[in-house]
Amino acid sequence: MKPKLTTSAALIVMLLVTCSSMLAHHGNVAYDEQHPITIAGNVTEFVWSNPHCQIYLDVKNDKGDVVAWSVESQSPGILHRNGWTRDSIKPGDHITVTLVPAKSGAPVGFAGEKTGKVVFDDGHILRMDLR
Amino acid sequence: MSGRRISLTLRVAVLLALTSAVSTIAIAQERAAKDAAAPAPKRDISGVWLYQGGGGQEGIAPDKDMPPMTPWAQARFDAERPGYGPRAIPGGNDPILQCDPAGFPRYLFFPQPYEFVQTSDRVIQFFEREHAWRPIWIDARSLPKDPDPTWSGYAIGHWEGDYTLVVESAGFNDKTWLGATGYPHSEDMRVTERYQRVDRNTILYKIRVDDPKAYMRPIIGPERMMKLRPGVEIAELPCVWSEENSFTKRIREPALGKPNK
Repeated sequence: MKPKLTTSAALIVMLLVTCSSMLAHHGNVAYDEQHPITIAGNVTEFVWSNPHCQIYLDVKNDKGDVVAWSVESQSPGILHRNGWTRDSIKPGDHITVTLVPAKSGAPVGFAGEKTGKVVFDDGHILRMDLR
Repeated sequence: MSGRRISLTLRVAVLLALTSAVSTIAIAQERAAKDAAAPAPKRDISGVWLYQGGGGQEGIAPDKDMPPMTPWAQARFDAERPGYGPRAIPGGNDPILQCDPAGFPRYLFFPQPYEFVQTSDRVIQFFEREHAWRPIWIDARSLPKDPDPTWSGYAIGHWEGDYTLVVESAGFNDKTWLGATGYPHSEDMRVTERYQRVDRNTILYKIRVDDPKAYMRPIIGPERMMKLRPGVEIAELPCVWSEENSFTKRIREPALGKPNK
């Protein structure tokens, strides 16, 4: 009985998580939302601005070449409600960003509520949930 | 002996997992019960609310529930190039990309919160998105007979019982889309909304659009939910052309493979 109940509880939690992410879905035809990726690099610029804040960072690719990535995130209002400020990310910071990449293959991505997150080397995380 | 120890360890692990799962659910249930039990204040929808929906691309109703269009509306629809939905193409001619107001009712369905402020004669809706506002007159006046068209229309409301505000609006221009998928409407559009506050933290929202110049039947939206966001202050998200233009040049166009100028 107990294992069955535990399994049921896990299924309920999984269902709630799935429903929540479906409700929060942000569609954008320019990005491959089915295949999120994670990149890491040094921040060159952080733009705190409507309609979407932007993170620019230099990322080394597999060949060792530096590629300049451009990442859009949410509006300042949404990020503020997630605890961000305009100083949350600074040039020179080394960060890891999970995003959905442009379908065109260009080094551009969207870090939004569905899969997006920024992780700093000290382990602290910034999210972009709709709230 | 060793087998008994493993069995005991397994039982303890299962018990701990079970306790953790059950307590998590119990806390969630207790919170939900507390929320549901909190009575809604009478004749009051003031507060900051967050629509529990999609990411801003929604129309009045899902595509499958949209009524047939008239030839007038179909011609407009065919000329639209939306950035979302089944006809989506990158770029496109969504009016909001050039900072045209999304207008009502589209700005109700974005992922940014809005604040409803209530006075004796009106409910005023302040939208974080676009930094727009919309008055709903609740002083028993009628809709004007021939209102000049505006982006948000002219709205009047009345209480049905103590918990449902019924809002009727008209006087819209025909420049806005009914959502990001590009459904048009005419200046004849009339909208009926129902804001039903079912408990302190929840509004169930229904919308109906009557526009015989554009649609063969009324558009009936699905029941939607808005949740109270205590402690949240709405921010500002106006469409500013210099910011929008910079974003297009630095993000939108490069994302499509166009060079970043």
